[in-house]
Amino acid sequence: MSMTRDAFRPYTDAETFDRIVEYDSVTEMWAKCLAEFADRPAIEDDGKTYTFARLEQDAASVRAALSGLGLQKGDRVGLLAPNSYDFVKSYLGIVTAGFVCVALPPHLDEMTVFGCTMKYALKAVLVHPALEEKTAFAKTHGSRSVFLSTTLPEASCPMAEGLKAEDPCVMLFTGGTTGKSKGALLSHGNVLQGTVNGCYGYKEVFGQRYMLVLPLTHVFGLVRNLMTSLYTGSDLFIVRNNKDMFRDAAMFRPTIMVMVPALAEMCLQLGKKFGRNMLGESMKTIIAGAAVVPPYLVNEYDKLGVLLLPGYGLTESANLVSGNPESLKKPESVGLPFPNQELKVVNGELLLRGKNMMIGYVGEEEASYDEDGWFHTGDLVRFDEEGFLYITGRTKEIIVLPTGENISPAEMETRFNELVCVQDTQVFEDLNERGEHILALEALPRMTELQGVEDVRAYVTAELQKVNESFPLFMRVSRIEIRDQDFERTPSMKIKRYHRV
Amino acid sequence: MTRQEIFDKLKEIMVEADDRNREIVENSTEDTDLMKDFGFSSVNMLYIVIMIEESFGIRFEDLGVRDLRKVGDVISYIAEELEK
Repeated sequence: MSMTRDAFRPYTDAETFDRIVEYDSVTEMWAKCLAEFADRPAIEDDGKTYTFARLEQDAASVRAALSGLGLQKGDRVGLLAPNSYDFVKSYLGIVTAGFVCVALPPHLDEMTVFGCTMKYALKAVLVHPALEEKTAFAKTHGSRSVFLSTTLPEASCPMAEGLKAEDPCVMLFTGGTTGKSKGALLSHGNVLQGTVNGCYGYKEVFGQRYMLVLPLTHVFGLVRNLMTSLYTGSDLFIVRNNKDMFRDAAMFRPTIMVMVPALAEMCLQLGKKFGRNMLGESMKTIIAGAAVVPPYLVNEYDKLGVLLLPGYGLTESANLVSGNPESLKKPESVGLPFPNQELKVVNGELLLRGKNMMIGYVGEEEASYDEDGWFHTGDLVRFDEEGFLYITGRTKEIIVLPTGENISPAEMETRFNELVCVQDTQVFEDLNERGEHILALEALPRMTELQGVEDVRAYVTAELQKVNESFPLFMRVSRIEIRDQDFERTPSMKIKRYHRV
Repeated sequence: MTRQEIFDKLKEIMVEADDRNREIVENSTEDTDLMKDFGFSSVNMLYIVIMIEESFGIRFEDLGVRDLRKVGDVISYIAEELEK
């Protein structure tokens, strides 16, 4: 099935709706923004306000520096910067020059930064001074990338001409829903479709005040926050440290925010404690995605006069695939599909095709699309009679935590199975005695390796616990059980997975 | 405020952040490791930091939470800030 943009017409006034137009490239969109919003504030960061015109001047300096290196259209340029104005001007400079921005998450370690420069053949890397040390290894171990500081001298350089929708624009890392993070290459057309999709389904679209708490290296941060904010002539406030977000909100008075459900929930919890809306009285719209939105959140925010719109999206789809403008009536739905894409359900799994879908993964053997050009999301879905989409599960074994973090049980099991005292393990989601979701682990000991061990259960548990503690906090299992008998297995001898939740 | 009073308030905040940790929090000591021994998510940690700042009227400036490894380190930091 597919939807036209008219499905969203009832949720926005006619004049605003007609202003939502499509462009083929970031350069085309940016030129229109400059013509319309030049003197308006575009970005607020670290106590300074930057207008659209100022942002263009600084992006031009980035274009000049990169063009001076002799780069060609389509060459890849890494960007290693925390959420900051420098990130914004660098990203915009790279892509409006016709180069491809490879957005490197700032938490990467220096070995991974080096690996990325090689794997993705980065011609240059723009590095924020605060992350300079992360390039030390690459600089001394034969990386061929040119490293430049994001602090650049002023210079002028026009935008690239003739960029087309199919030209590559930016590479973002996926959240790893298939077990491993991959680089998804998005075209200018993809990014623009994602940007425009961010305008559908709510009343106040243009001239808003956005507050950014998501990473700009994440599709929701880059496309749904930054790009849609620029597109709509809005002012984007960059929260430097999330712990200060409520002080920032009191000062900046945001009208719209994009966040994961767990954060929206925390804002409510604190609001109840302090007896006020922590996000401020100006807040009108919250876009919540990247994890399942508990329906009660929609109602709680409605009481505060805030419309919370659940959405569903992927890095591969350049932003949200669907958004729910009827969240009060259908709080469990992820909404109506956005225009210019086709959706098909095969054996319950959602398949996607369309203008918003990525060019493909970079440097991966795994095919991005099937032979008919469909992307297999791995999400199990259903549509209701009015065309609203519901996510009902995953085909791939992935556990999505309320914080939006993805757990791959297979990846964790591989690590547990490296222990010689363990024959096989299974990581699964379960409920504890209080009915809360937890990650649990069951393990089958390898008895041949445990001869002479007095208390097998205690020994194996302790060994598993050591591995468990090597995982990031959010990934750790909170219960370990040692089995006496083998797991129930499928005919191909794979462990039959538990689905207790 | 005594160290014990700070600790009690801290325990209250940590339980609020994620009720599932109640048992671990109640049995924690000053030597309990913040990152290793509790099952806090990134959003839980954010809640704890915000609540410490609000409840004690202090600010974590230029100091990542990562520098505070153990419960006792946090208590010491709060105590020092309260004395300022």
